[in-house]
Order: sequence, then structure tokens, then C-alpha cells
Amino acid sequence: MTLLDVDGLRRSFGRLVAVDGASFEVREGEIVGMIGPNGAGKTTLFDCVSGILRSDAGTVSFDGRDVTGAAPHELARRGLVRTFQQTRELTTMSVEENVLLPTPDHPGERAVHAVARTGAHRERERAARERATDLLETFDLGSMAEEYAGNLSGGQRKLLELARALMLDPKLLLLDEPFAGVNPTLTANIAASIESLNEDGLTLLIIEHELETLTGLVDRLVVLADGRVLATGPPDQVMEDERVIDAYLGG
Amino acid sequence: MSRLERLPVDATGVGLALFVLSVLFLYSPLFVSPPGWTFFVLELGVLFVVYVLILIGLNLQFGHTGLTNFGPVAFFAVGGYTAALLTARDPYGAVGLGMPWPVGLGVGVLAAVGLGALVGAATLRLRDDFLAIVTLAVAEIVHGLIETFRTVTGGPIGLQNVPRPIPDMTGGGGGAEIVSTILVVGSLALLAYGVFHRLTASPYGRVLRAIRADEQVTETLGKRVFRYKFMVLIYGSALAGLAGVLYVFYNGAASPLFFTIDVTVTVWIGMLIGGAGSDRGVIGGLAIIMGFRLLTRLLNQELPFVGQDQFASARILLVGLLLMLVIRYRPEGIWGDARERRAES
Repeated sequence: MTLLDVDGLRRSFGRLVAVDGASFEVREGEIVGMIGPNGAGKTTLFDCVSGILRSDAGTVSFDGRDVTGAAPHELARRGLVRTFQQTRELTTMSVEENVLLPTPDHPGERAVHAVARTGAHRERERAARERATDLLETFDLGSMAEEYAGNLSGGQRKLLELARALMLDPKLLLLDEPFAGVNPTLTANIAASIESLNEDGLTLLIIEHELETLTGLVDRLVVLADGRVLATGPPDQVMEDERVIDAYLGG
Repeated sequence: MSRLERLPVDATGVGLALFVLSVLFLYSPLFVSPPGWTFFVLELGVLFVVYVLILIGLNLQFGHTGLTNFGPVAFFAVGGYTAALLTARDPYGAVGLGMPWPVGLGVGVLAAVGLGALVGAATLRLRDDFLAIVTLAVAEIVHGLIETFRTVTGGPIGLQNVPRPIPDMTGGGGGAEIVSTILVVGSLALLAYGVFHRLTASPYGRVLRAIRADEQVTETLGKRVFRYKFMVLIYGSALAGLAGVLYVFYNGAASPLFFTIDVTVTVWIGMLIGGAGSDRGVIGGLAIIMGFRLLTRLLNQELPFVGQDQFASARILLVGLLLMLVIRYRPEGIWGDARERRAES
């Protein structure tokens, strides 16, 4: 079943057309890699799909519904969650608070429950804490829970972003360069985490320049060039495509 | 959070109990009559508890959520003048509808909330700094309207003959009226502190601090950022409006002198010195600033050969110096937490 269907998406900044009628789909249970030369429009495409940028034309459907132009918080609640290329952990909050923040449907986030300190609020917070602790342990951040997120290393920040996104129990996770600036050991760890999440039923769409790791991980590659989908298919087939090689070698 | 924030007292409960007690005290024939020389200290006490109300709202807006409201005085003035216009009986050269005081209280707070909603709807979807500019402008506009429509507001003279519900119920003269006002308004301020602290210490406060740190990330993690910012602006407006109503009801008059930019400056400096985001710290900061005012007035009495103007100037110099010292050596404020301070501010 198609989980994400992007059709004819277009977005320009002034005269620069960053995304120029991109169409592709992601099926449930897949890991799809998105590659392309710098400036191909990958991040802009992510921004349009996740609601951060408005698209000029085209449609985005998620989980059987048209979500074109939906607000980011709405998409996140429906299960479409993204991370950012430059990690954006909330540095002025603790690691645990970072992971607790996304807790969906938290009564304690409504003023009345917060002030009255209702049982529902405390109950939800306790459950959220358990889940957060589990996630932090999974990503080897358990001992850092009380630490301010600003004190984490680059690699740990990547892990924190992943743990935080998973708190929303997403159906589809969009990862923007999860291996950028990460050492080889950690890259292997993150790749293993992605595989095990996928085995548990999570669908992923990953932008990445680190092709070696990516091609070993994904079921399918989508190649973007000049804001358009150039080719799509299994990694070995796509990597031998003349047009793809040309695009990468600056043809 | 500092140790100061972890004292095992529930301010909400204590504030509510004190409020009920202070109202009962009003209805009782009893009163406290302080000696005459303490009046000016107590007068400043009234101003302090009124400013604390404004400050609690401002700290929720700026300290916790990162919303830069440079015009708290606008909401304070709109609350105060609305209440005065509705309740004053035949004020000199102005409009007074002579309605009962509870109407003035309710509509005064609502008017401040309305202004907050207007400002919020217009600016909160734009970049952060727009709120700062607009609130600064709104404060000037409100001030200008009060000066311009002098047949309605009484212009520089203001509105007299406004009901004084608290002093009227006290009996026992001027000193007792001030004490009763401090008790009632002070317990309300404590209650407001308690309620807002519960808000900021809960997952609600976590969302606010996340918005302060990175709005867009908070949005992509499923939070309705605009709604939170809007409501925070409203809550702060309501408190500032309430403060304005209470201050006008205490004075039995509304005057443009109550609502100058000094109000904004005093609460902002108090908040920055105490430590924006620390619910108790900001009140400590306000106490320091207003303590300066008291100190200079006391000194003024002792040293009659130094003029009042000179003392006022000296006070401004001292406050400026303190602010500079705090920003230089402890930018997070005396009771603030450096780790929670935004890197760019």
C-alpha cells in the first residue's frame, strides 16, 4: 500500500525553481533513499512534504489522505515525522525533556490539567517517562538523561533526534542526512537501528550523501536532480543508470 | 531549577486561603492601623504587589515562552482605564458611566484580553521581533489615545470618583485602607504566582520552553505552537489588565501618571535582574528595584539638603549600574539558570 504519494510537487524561491514537479511514492514497510547532487532540491522537498514550506503546486498524500498544505504539527500527529539536516536538539532543555516533549495527546499540556494537576496528567507523564527512558537506553543515552542537550557530542545529538522522533510513534520517518558528521562506528549503529525499526514496521525515507551505507540499507533509491525525479529503482540498478552517473559527475 | 523553586509550599493553596482570609478580614469590623510614618513604605508595597501581577504575566511570556512584550503597560492601562470609565460617577471633564465596580473589574480584564488577542492575531505568525515592535508601538498608541481623547479620559487630569471597593469596606482610615489593599492584592498575586508556577512546572511549561528554544522543531514534534503563544499572550494580558483595574480601584482614580513607560521599564529590569524564567527570581528582582526606590526616599528624608530630583536621578543611575553589572557578570540574572538561557540572547 502506498503510504506517501508525492505528485507534481513544485516550489520556487524567486526565480530559482528548487523543486520542479517531483513525483514519487513510498510504500508501507519500505526504506527509500533519496540521493542527488547538492542543490538538487532534496531538503526543500522534505520541507514541503513535512509542511514547513508551502508548495506552489502539486499534491502530497499521506496514509490515504490529501495532506497538501497541512500544518507540521498536524502531520506529526498523523505519523509523518522528520528530522533535520543540522541537528536541532533543544539545547536549553535536558536530554530527557527533549524526548518527553513530543509525547502525543498529553493532558498535562493543556492549561486546565496542568494547573489542577489532574490524575490523567500524572498518569500520562509517568507512562511517557517510561517510554522515554526505554528510548534513551536503546540509543545509549540513558546516562545522559539529566544532562542539558547542549552538552552532547555531535553523534549523540543525532541519536537524540532519532529517539525524540520515535516518541511520536511515527508511521513514516523522514531522515535528513542521518550519517552526516558521524564516525564510522556510530554510522553502523544508526544503520542497525534503522534496520531494526524497519523490521518493526516503520517506513523510512532517508536523504543521504554517504552512498555506501545508504545503498546497503534501502530497498529503493529515488534520484533527484534539478528538482525533478531522475530515476528510481533498486540501488544496484539505479547506480548503473547513465543519467544518474552523468548528474553526479556534473554532466 | 534552583533550590529556591523547590520549597515545599504550594503557593496556589496558600494564596487562595490568604485571599479568602483577607476578604473575610475586609467584612469584619477589625482593621490594622499602622503608624503614620510607615505610610509611604506601605504605599510602595501596594505598587509592588500590583507590579508583581504584571510581572508574573510578563515572565510567562518572555521568561518561559520567549515572547518579547515591550508594552506590558498598554494592557495595564487598558484594564485600568476601562474600569475607571465604566464605574466613575460624574468625573470632572470626562466620561463616567457610574456602573457597579464588579462590572468594571470584569470588563476591564476582558478589554486587556481583547487587546492581547488583537496583538497576538496580528503578530504571532510573523517573526519573533514583530511582537516586540508592535507591543512597543501599542503602548505608545494607548498612551496617545488617553492624551488625545481628553473629553472621555480626562486627559492629563484623569478620571476621579472611581469606586474604591477595598478601602470603602475597611473602615479605620488611610493606613488601614493601605494594609487591607496589600493583603487582598498581595494574596491575589500569590495565587497568580501559584497558578502560573503550576503551569510552568508541568508539561505545559515544557512546551513553552521548547517554543523558546526552537519554535519550528516544537511544531514538527506535534505541538500547536501558534495556539500556545496566543494563549500565553492572553494570560499575561489578563493579569496586567487585572493589575490595572485593582490599581485604579485602590486610588479611586485613573491618571496617565499611573501608566507611563516607567511601568514597563520597572518590571522588565526586575525580571532581567532576578532572572527571566525563574518564577520566584523575577519577583526578587522586582523587590530589589523597588527597594532602591524606598532606600532613596528614606535617604532623602535624612538628607534634606539634597533635592528630590537629584535623588530621583541618582536612583536611575544606580538601577542602570546594577543592570549593567548583572548583564556583564551574571547575564542569566541573579536567580536565573545559565544553562536555560538562549545562546543568542
